[in-house]
Amino acid sequence: MNSLLNVILTTDFAFSVLRVTTPILFAALGALISNRAGIINIGMEGIMLVSALAGVIVSAYTQSAWVGLLGAVLSGTLIAGILAFFTLKFKTHIILGGVAINMFASGGTVFILYLLSGDKGSSTSLASKVLPSIDIPLLQDIPVLGPILSGHHILTYFSILSVLVVYYLLNRTPLGLRIRSVGENPHAAQSVGVSVVRIQYSALLLSGFFASLGGAYMSMGYLSLFTRDMIAGRGWIAIAAESMGRSTTVGTALTSLLFGAADALSNALQVLKIPAELIATLPYVATVIGLIIYAVSETRKKNKKLKATITK
Amino acid sequence: MKKKMLTLMLLAVMVLVAACGNNKSGNGNGATATPGTNEEGGAAAGDKLKVVLLIPGTLGDKSFFDAANNGLQKVKSELGAETKVVEMGADKTKWEPTFNDIAAEDWDVVISGGSEITEMFNATAEANPDKKFINYDTDIEEAPANMYNMSYSTNEVSFLAGAAAALATQSDMPNANKDNVIGFLGGMDIPGINAFLVGYIQGAQYVDPEVKVAVSYAGDFVNPAKGKELSLIQYNSGVDIIFNVAGGTGLGIFDAAKEKNKYAIGVDSDQAMLLKDTDSAKANLIVTSAIKKIDSAILGAVKRLQDGTLEMGKRDVLGFVEDGVGIAENEIYKAAFPAELQTKIEEVKQKLINKEIKVDNAMGMETSEVEAIRNAVKP
Repeated sequence: MNSLLNVILTTDFAFSVLRVTTPILFAALGALISNRAGIINIGMEGIMLVSALAGVIVSAYTQSAWVGLLGAVLSGTLIAGILAFFTLKFKTHIILGGVAINMFASGGTVFILYLLSGDKGSSTSLASKVLPSIDIPLLQDIPVLGPILSGHHILTYFSILSVLVVYYLLNRTPLGLRIRSVGENPHAAQSVGVSVVRIQYSALLLSGFFASLGGAYMSMGYLSLFTRDMIAGRGWIAIAAESMGRSTTVGTALTSLLFGAADALSNALQVLKIPAELIATLPYVATVIGLIIYAVSETRKKNKKLKATITK
Repeated sequence: MKKKMLTLMLLAVMVLVAACGNNKSGNGNGATATPGTNEEGGAAAGDKLKVVLLIPGTLGDKSFFDAANNGLQKVKSELGAETKVVEMGADKTKWEPTFNDIAAEDWDVVISGGSEITEMFNATAEANPDKKFINYDTDIEEAPANMYNMSYSTNEVSFLAGAAAALATQSDMPNANKDNVIGFLGGMDIPGINAFLVGYIQGAQYVDPEVKVAVSYAGDFVNPAKGKELSLIQYNSGVDIIFNVAGGTGLGIFDAAKEKNKYAIGVDSDQAMLLKDTDSAKANLIVTSAIKKIDSAILGAVKRLQDGTLEMGKRDVLGFVEDGVGIAENEIYKAAFPAELQTKIEEVKQKLINKEIKVDNAMGMETSEVEAIRNAVKP
């Protein structure tokens, strides 16, 4: 138990939680926006993968990390745009579209990587750039908090900032109001003159935008290279985090952090003498526990409502 | 009328495109049908050896499969054989039909490798007694009469890697710290990976009985971010050199090594050379690699098969004596290790060659035995 505390109560561990959470948080925010507009974008994994590759390729050819980031974001948003086009214009089922995006991304990225670098496994032969990490002045000198909060990758800070941005967007702007109304009742929204399709387009593009930031983080910050299928399920975990966060911004951010912490914990615990298989189940145990808490509280709420209507 | 014509033409084009597409598809039947039919006539006339390599996966892993493909290229250039490589992809259900299709064609030698395919490969060999088969890496000893099996003493080469790591962590090499701890990152907790681990631990203990080994498993071979996380934790806990036995996941180790300015040991192929051109700072930290010389093993086997000296129906374990394994002694190795350490590593290597050192093999071990070895050295 003592050694367990020694592992968790370090600034290194707290630091790693934020680092692990970043890609999940970005994608979860993306999933949140599209979900609030009433369309479930399950193509997060694929969008992240494409943008991870695009970031590496563009930064390798332009030798600028920032142009690479731009390329990553544009390509990720483009993929989301394609998904939106097929779903909203041609009425493809959104789940099918999402599955297609994921499969296309898995094979397509390897194909493009092979065309450009002659490699099918990883981008080690491309001299790609990474975005910088930032030491925050003043904050970095504070004991304990400094080493936890300072020195992160720039996109990690941006992900935290994005939580505020998304919160503001959904709750305080006309576009957010429309996104929510379209998601809750598209007919009502249409009856007051809101273009449902246009709002859903914007929501899907925004979800692609955030997911692609997560993808760019994977290959241009977290790691300095692209490898095949490198997202490794983070897009799916993000979708789970979004629904476990009950489609609220704060809830989504907190569950993303929970998943990140569980994952970081499963990494950190490996130094102890606990079987690796058991540790590997931690993130999933956290998910199940989270879902149970969610289900229990929901049922209670429903029961209360039911009682209230009966007593009326 | 015109419209009908146009439709017909379109249809013809579509059929054509579909047919072409089929031929180019990397795996399965389409890819293999063309060469088989093309060369049926020529095979009897020319005495060119025809060798085909079946990859149970895709090329580009920068180690296992690519090394096999290099071996095939050597067979082509040095023996003048006609060669072809077929990537069977990750879908295992396609492997068996591909084996059968290829075996039905007029190839003289069919090569494939890996424990996963051994069973179906053996069945294919038994069904085609007139062809020769080579399995370039398998755990299973028994082989049909027309099959030659190879495996590598990964435990021995890991022993040498472990000895090198233990020497490095005690040394005053610039990035070595005072903690007497070395690291190991495995893809999964499975016998194939633990064969590396047990050799590594024993090699480290041979140099220094007091050395500690931090062991992590990523549970995944394609998650470099996880590999980096686990490596960072090891480096932070006082490890100064990590042995990568985690495939694509292991690429994350090198990222972590660069960030923390610590050492790493590559696996299967000379991994420092992969990164040397694009990121020399990273490559310089990969002080050596534990190499399976799959390429020269394949070349050697095909050469002996051509001479008629290859003994079929058995498995050879290729160790240091057979030049089947080795550690990378490139310029990075020579620059990183001081001369006196290089001599010590060479001594250990000679003892392995002379069979003065006996290394245990985790392949035949009980899980609990491996666990005992692992837990005994945990920091």
